[in-house]
Amino acid sequence: MSDGWRLIRQQLGTQRWGIAFGAVVALAWTAAKVSVPALVALAIDEGIEPKDEAQIMHYARLIALAGVFVATFTGLRRYSAFREARKTEAVLRDRLFAHLQRLHFAFHDGQQTGQLMSRANNDLQQIQNAVVLVPLTIANLATVAAVVVILARVDPVLTVLALGSLPAVNVLARKFATKLQPTMAAVQQESAELSAVVEETVAGIRVVKGFAAEGTQTARLSAEADDLYEVSMEAAKIRSVYWPALEVIPSIGLIMVLAYGGHQVINGQLALGDLVAFNAYVVLLVWPLRMLGWIVAMSQRAAASAQRVHEILATEPLVVDPPHPRVLPAAGGDVRFDAVTFHYLGNSHLVLDGFDLHIAAGESVALVGATASGKSTAAKLISRFYDVTAGAVLLDGIDVRELALGQLRSAVGLVFEETFLFSDTIAANIAFADADASIDDIERAAKLAGAHQFITELSHGYDTEIGERGFSLSGGQRQRIAIARAILADPRVLILDDATSAVDPTKEHEIRDALGEVMRDRTTVVIAHRPATIALAERVVLIGDGRVVADGTHEGLLRTSEEYREVLASAAADEEQARHAALEGSEGVVAP
Amino acid sequence: MPMSAVDEDSKLDRREAAQVLRRAARMLRPYKRDVVGAGVLVTISTLAVLAGPFLLKVGIDRGITGGNEAVLDLAVAAFVVVAVIAYVASRVQILMISRSGEGFLRDLRNRVFDHLLRLSMPFYDREKAGVVVSRMTSDVDSLQELIQQGLLQMLASILLIVGSVIVLGIVCWQLLLVCLIPVPFVVVASIKFQRDSNEAYLTVRDRIGLTLSSLQEGISGVRVIQAYGREDVEIGRFESRNNSLYRAHMKSVFVQAWYLPVIEGAAVGCTALVVALGGKMVVDGTATVGTVAFFVLTLSNLFEPLQQLSQLFNTVQSSGAALQKLFELLDTPVELEERPDAVPLPDHGELRVEGLTFSYGSGPPVLTDVDLVLPIGEKLALVGPTGAGKSTLAKLMARLYDPTAGRVTFGGIDLRDAELTSLRTQITVVPQEGYLFHGTIRDNVRIGRPDATDEEVEAALESLGLLVRFSSQADGLDTEVHERGSSLSAGERQLVSLARAALADPAVLVLDEATSSLDPGTEVLVERALERLVQGRTVIVIAHRLSTAERSDRVGVVADGRLAELGTHAELVGRGGRYAQLYDSWVHGLAASG
Repeated sequence: MSDGWRLIRQQLGTQRWGIAFGAVVALAWTAAKVSVPALVALAIDEGIEPKDEAQIMHYARLIALAGVFVATFTGLRRYSAFREARKTEAVLRDRLFAHLQRLHFAFHDGQQTGQLMSRANNDLQQIQNAVVLVPLTIANLATVAAVVVILARVDPVLTVLALGSLPAVNVLARKFATKLQPTMAAVQQESAELSAVVEETVAGIRVVKGFAAEGTQTARLSAEADDLYEVSMEAAKIRSVYWPALEVIPSIGLIMVLAYGGHQVINGQLALGDLVAFNAYVVLLVWPLRMLGWIVAMSQRAAASAQRVHEILATEPLVVDPPHPRVLPAAGGDVRFDAVTFHYLGNSHLVLDGFDLHIAAGESVALVGATASGKSTAAKLISRFYDVTAGAVLLDGIDVRELALGQLRSAVGLVFEETFLFSDTIAANIAFADADASIDDIERAAKLAGAHQFITELSHGYDTEIGERGFSLSGGQRQRIAIARAILADPRVLILDDATSAVDPTKEHEIRDALGEVMRDRTTVVIAHRPATIALAERVVLIGDGRVVADGTHEGLLRTSEEYREVLASAAADEEQARHAALEGSEGVVAP
Repeated sequence: MPMSAVDEDSKLDRREAAQVLRRAARMLRPYKRDVVGAGVLVTISTLAVLAGPFLLKVGIDRGITGGNEAVLDLAVAAFVVVAVIAYVASRVQILMISRSGEGFLRDLRNRVFDHLLRLSMPFYDREKAGVVVSRMTSDVDSLQELIQQGLLQMLASILLIVGSVIVLGIVCWQLLLVCLIPVPFVVVASIKFQRDSNEAYLTVRDRIGLTLSSLQEGISGVRVIQAYGREDVEIGRFESRNNSLYRAHMKSVFVQAWYLPVIEGAAVGCTALVVALGGKMVVDGTATVGTVAFFVLTLSNLFEPLQQLSQLFNTVQSSGAALQKLFELLDTPVELEERPDAVPLPDHGELRVEGLTFSYGSGPPVLTDVDLVLPIGEKLALVGPTGAGKSTLAKLMARLYDPTAGRVTFGGIDLRDAELTSLRTQITVVPQEGYLFHGTIRDNVRIGRPDATDEEVEAALESLGLLVRFSSQADGLDTEVHERGSSLSAGERQLVSLARAALADPAVLVLDEATSSLDPGTEVLVERALERLVQGRTVIVIAHRLSTAERSDRVGVVADGRLAELGTHAELVGRGGRYAQLYDSWVHGLAASG
């Protein structure tokens, strides 16, 4: 928690003038607000009771003036408090996002997107809720102090009687917030469970209908609805205990004022106006005290949230630019793995163990191996997505750790097995590496990736919006766009990690021809299972148990390596897929 | 800050609002006692709030000013009684309003869900799943928000305003008139505030959505972003989104920042007027000091509720719109209903398709004049290009849709005349992907026949040779699926799905073959289980693999909405038609991929 507090404190430190302004206008508002009952009291005592009309009008004007101040400062107070709170939220969200962008792959491997989203959304929301109260709290504390001082000077005994019960408002408000919070969380939980039943029933409606299982699902929903009812009533019970109490406590003060103060007035110990003022002040203090109760509960939650945010921000990126980066030669593409040993964080199993491999500039190599043999990992080390545990990966003779990340990654293009496209146009997705690329460049890249034809067949062509809320493409189409994206980047080393696995084999034929052109004079590493794709490469390297097992040509290895034949044979599932695709016609279009 | 907003086009007009209210009132009938009780108690506690300043006035005028200590003590005692009544009344009313409100929501959820499940496939084809789900989630939630937070406050605010005006009027109508001077301004400001804040909130909601989706993309696409060294560009893009959210928030705060001064300024302004005019009246002897004090204290009962009402207005509007949408859903007619004189299907029979024509809604026909007879136990493979109508034909044969013309019969009975339960147990559709529900493996198999005993579930698994496979899971058949770490592979899901069908034990199976390949280990198991499952049943399989077509008794080629070819694999290959072409391209395609 203490790191969480420090994060909030630090951030508020940078906003100290804004916060101070918020506190000042809040204080000004308080002063104006507090002056009203005092002025009313004076009006009664010095104007109305002595029947002095001039005095009455004098005080009425002063009250009106106070009204102008109240109005001005109430607006400013709210605006400045929220401005600072929203600023805190926005600044922290920017920081969080920027930090996440720079964190190494190994960090992201261990995180769930939903969890990170919740840091940047719900947790920052909690912090925002508490920050809003900071200037208001400063002002509220001042209000309470000012009222106590004013009243105590008039009549100390009556002050104790009038305000004595009010701390209970503070205590109750705090208890209320702490009690209600877990119950409301339970309500949300139950509500989420109910939604889950609805979601999976709608998603699985074909199964439900197909088996006439409507009864099963309605029974489940009804049970969830009952649970939700129960827990909502739980929350209602808590509200029914605290709300009325919070409402009634101020009345105790008012009763005290009337009971004790009334007799004091009759006995001539107290002015009538002061009695009215006491009443007004009791009412005035109710909200500030309630808010003071909330802020305790809320700031605790905010600190817990800030702690979680801090944990991310405090994670140092492991893969960073060297202090004095070396510069790559103008051309090249020579890749060398020098006795590389590698294991993932938190898992001591060696994925690569004494891995030696040299790929000459302009050469094309297929990495082949069984699942988890380490071939994808080796490819990712070239881009320095992870740092080696021992040994070194060299690009054109320079250890990749000595290169600026920007230069390294524009020199090495990697197409991942799982395609990720952004919610944007197809053109923007292809031009990801270079937003200023001309449409000619984009089309050329798309043609080489075998994507141009299907793109032009879409109604908006290259301007078609894709991604989450846009047009949905097939797996093969998505992969071809990812390949086009890599081609446009024009790297000296191109890595295709199973990048054509979802492309239908009849189409892959076309891509293969085009890829031949892309691969000319470019170092290319292909990770693939299909013999036809492997055959694209001049050289095949068989990887097993984290090291190079065999090295040669496709035909050569077929002849000499039993292990190579086995690995290829286990890719039989792909062929079954090929059969279905042919029967369906290619990607939904019937074969002629 | 109102937490809900309503789009301009979903606002209800007066007539719609009245209808929605009437219908809601009907649904509230079972909770009549709580509703009436809450209404009475809200009135009582409002009166209690109003009584406070009034007793103070009596205490001042009759007791203090008159020097009568007995009256003063009486006023104090009355104040104590009023406070106790207020406490008890508000405590009970919260329980009553929650009991009826939450009960109403529970009934609504159950009714809407029941109706959703009675609606047939055409409905689910038309509507997006997300929209259907949102009826049960966000729409009901906005009602819940109203019930938990708004309803009570709204009632109390209205009563308080009305009550204050009446009481103030009785005590001194001249002063009341003075207090009403700022009211028109406040009302106009409130209306404008309500509109502006609604609009501002809608913008905030949009921008939150944009920021979150950009956040999500930045996180799930972080590997691609780093691979292309685009971190700075993406950070810049995110910052501009985040900044536009910040500005939307500030816009919404600004709306409040001008509205609050109007309310608070009006309240203090009224105080000044009351002091000026009331003071003069005291001087003239037409009012008492207690009256002035009473007015000053009661003014807050007039303006604060007004402010609360304007904030609640959006919640009320969006709840009304939500309720309207829910009622519309309840009014959606059920297309595939059981006829009143429906009969059960026989245990065995021929499946016959006669002159079948079908179109989705008013669209062009997807199938035209299809005739087909499946003798008991025949295995038919349907092949053809995507969109040619083979899935639709299969679905019609299971009455997931009703034909536009022609009919489908089983054992001589038109499927539309059959009891729905008997239809679903005799003709079962096994979808392409093994869909799992939250729960154990056992629960998931039991979907096939909800009243099956544990032994029957196990027997169904055993009949497909799968009992050993699933018993070896961590908790055997009681292993929770869909939970992180113990979810099943695609192949295992298929197996569960087949076991469901085995448990249902239908006479006719409609299978949609998986298009994606499974992990090699389970692929074999699925094949074997399928072979056992189809034994002795009539089977229609939507085939994606040629091997499946080869193994079937007959193959039907569906093309352009017609049954273009029908015969055995060998016959069709020999005929040299579409099927032969498909077969050729398969052989060719396999060769091309090496």
